[in-house]
Amino acid sequence: MPALSVKSLHKSYGQLHAVNGVSFEVVRGDVFALLGPNGAGKSTTIEILEGFLKRDGGEVSVLGVDPGERGEQRWLRTRIGVVLQELTVEPFFSVRQVLERNAGYYPSPRAVDEVIELVGLRDKADVKVKKLSGGQQRRLDIGLGIVGNPELLFLDEPTTGLDPAARRMTWELIRALSCQGTTVVLSSHYMDEVEALASHVVVLTKGRIAASGTPSSLGGRDMGKVAISFTMPEGIAVADLPVTPSCLEGLRVEIDTDCELEVLSRLTHWALEEKVSLAGLCVMRQTLEDVYLRLTHEALTSKDEVHS
Amino acid sequence: MSVDVAPLKDHTWTGDLRLVVHQVRYEQKAFWINKTGAMFTIGFSVIFLIMLGATNGTQTISYLDNITNDQYYVPGFIAYGIMAACFSMLTSNLVTRRETGLLKRLRLTPLPAWALLSAIFLSTAIVALVQAAVLLVIGRFGYGVAFPRAWLAFLIVVVVGIACFTAMGVAISSVIPNQETAGPVTSVAFFVLLFLSGLWFPLPPHSGLETFSTFFPVRHFLTAVRAPFEQQAGMSAWPWHDLGIVAIWGVVAGFIALRKFRWSPHRG
Repeated sequence: MPALSVKSLHKSYGQLHAVNGVSFEVVRGDVFALLGPNGAGKSTTIEILEGFLKRDGGEVSVLGVDPGERGEQRWLRTRIGVVLQELTVEPFFSVRQVLERNAGYYPSPRAVDEVIELVGLRDKADVKVKKLSGGQQRRLDIGLGIVGNPELLFLDEPTTGLDPAARRMTWELIRALSCQGTTVVLSSHYMDEVEALASHVVVLTKGRIAASGTPSSLGGRDMGKVAISFTMPEGIAVADLPVTPSCLEGLRVEIDTDCELEVLSRLTHWALEEKVSLAGLCVMRQTLEDVYLRLTHEALTSKDEVHS
Repeated sequence: MSVDVAPLKDHTWTGDLRLVVHQVRYEQKAFWINKTGAMFTIGFSVIFLIMLGATNGTQTISYLDNITNDQYYVPGFIAYGIMAACFSMLTSNLVTRRETGLLKRLRLTPLPAWALLSAIFLSTAIVALVQAAVLLVIGRFGYGVAFPRAWLAFLIVVVVGIACFTAMGVAISSVIPNQETAGPVTSVAFFVLLFLSGLWFPLPPHSGLETFSTFFPVRHFLTAVRAPFEQQAGMSAWPWHDLGIVAIWGVVAGFIALRKFRWSPHRG
């Protein structure tokens, strides 16, 4: 049984069709990323999965139950953890107090000291929430998400506002949770984060799925064009090159191609024969961010049709 | 690897009770941690009583069977304290928690709505009872105002009042759009009603103000709290009529409160 399954989910706010026939599944223990620009329907989808919003149509199953069923919600909430985008903790309590309070809501919570350790707030355990820095508050929020020992964890932009070290620590924490069997549903605007953590990605645009797959193959990324670039050798004109550049920026030459082996071979043979150097030679696949921007841009420019 | 644990769908009543007690503890902590708020809520009624008592406490009120002003003010400020805790304090507390997203956050934990609301009610009631006790003691030993003779009637009045004004507080909180307006709206509504209901000065019988104030619960609650003290000859210790009107307001407000209660902030 998958941890989460969604079939042709629909939700409208008046005229706005916020979620328009979305389907996906999340395997237990996976880290799943739901991406998309603001207003694409991510938050709506996640709030439906959390049981916070009612759906208009479609089937949803979270840990085997329907989150829209009122009778299931209490049980479900003992099994899921939620980290929202905004910090929502009473400012006058200490870190330990809030964690102890929330731990008391769950049937089999994680030990509070363990949580404090996991999110790296040992030095701040008895400090009031309002005295914490933005990043420390964010980590406390993650602590509140995991204190109930959840099987499924929703993380909404978990590392926004964190410094690089705290970000890496949060990544390690997410990996560790995943290794222990916790399923993680992640939303993020950082593509490096998605690439580092997620095993499966769905990109939403305007309430529909624009693409889905693994981060390395999303949107034909593993098959798509490769950008080969180098600095123009001195005394060589564009016409002297053995291949036609796709674009020139100052002295930098870029060739976009599907047959990178052939282009590279012709370039390197030519360079060795002519005894010129190809300074800063670089072969680049599209980054996940390139793919993401292309997918979301296509959706924004095409009025009715969504490419995939 | 996932471990299959038997679903915990059958919540035991002891477990639920433990949950409410757990939440009441943290509601109480939250109240007492904020010393300014606590002093404001509890201290205000004490300060009012002392100030008014110092001004004209020993004068007698001719149309209330010649009881002294002190005898009028002690039950009056007990009633005030209960209303302040259950109505003003609770309203701004709930609006703040809703608008900052705290209620929504709690909604995403397994704490059931009824458990949270009961805990809020119980915690508010504790504050109101502490306040009533403080005023009774100050009244008794500072101003020689005897404890209520009809203890049971007094307790029942206090409990009905707590329930009614808590329900009103919750109902009002759901129509207030944001934190900024919570304070002013509740203070204005509260103090105007208090003023018109004769908290600071006894209302002359059959005056226009007295007629006006009979429509609202505040006046009736003030009278109801005063009755068990049995200071006036011929006044029953059991204020059925006034208590009934307070209870009706409570039921109506409770109905609105449960229908209109919202968890999410109004913005976004």
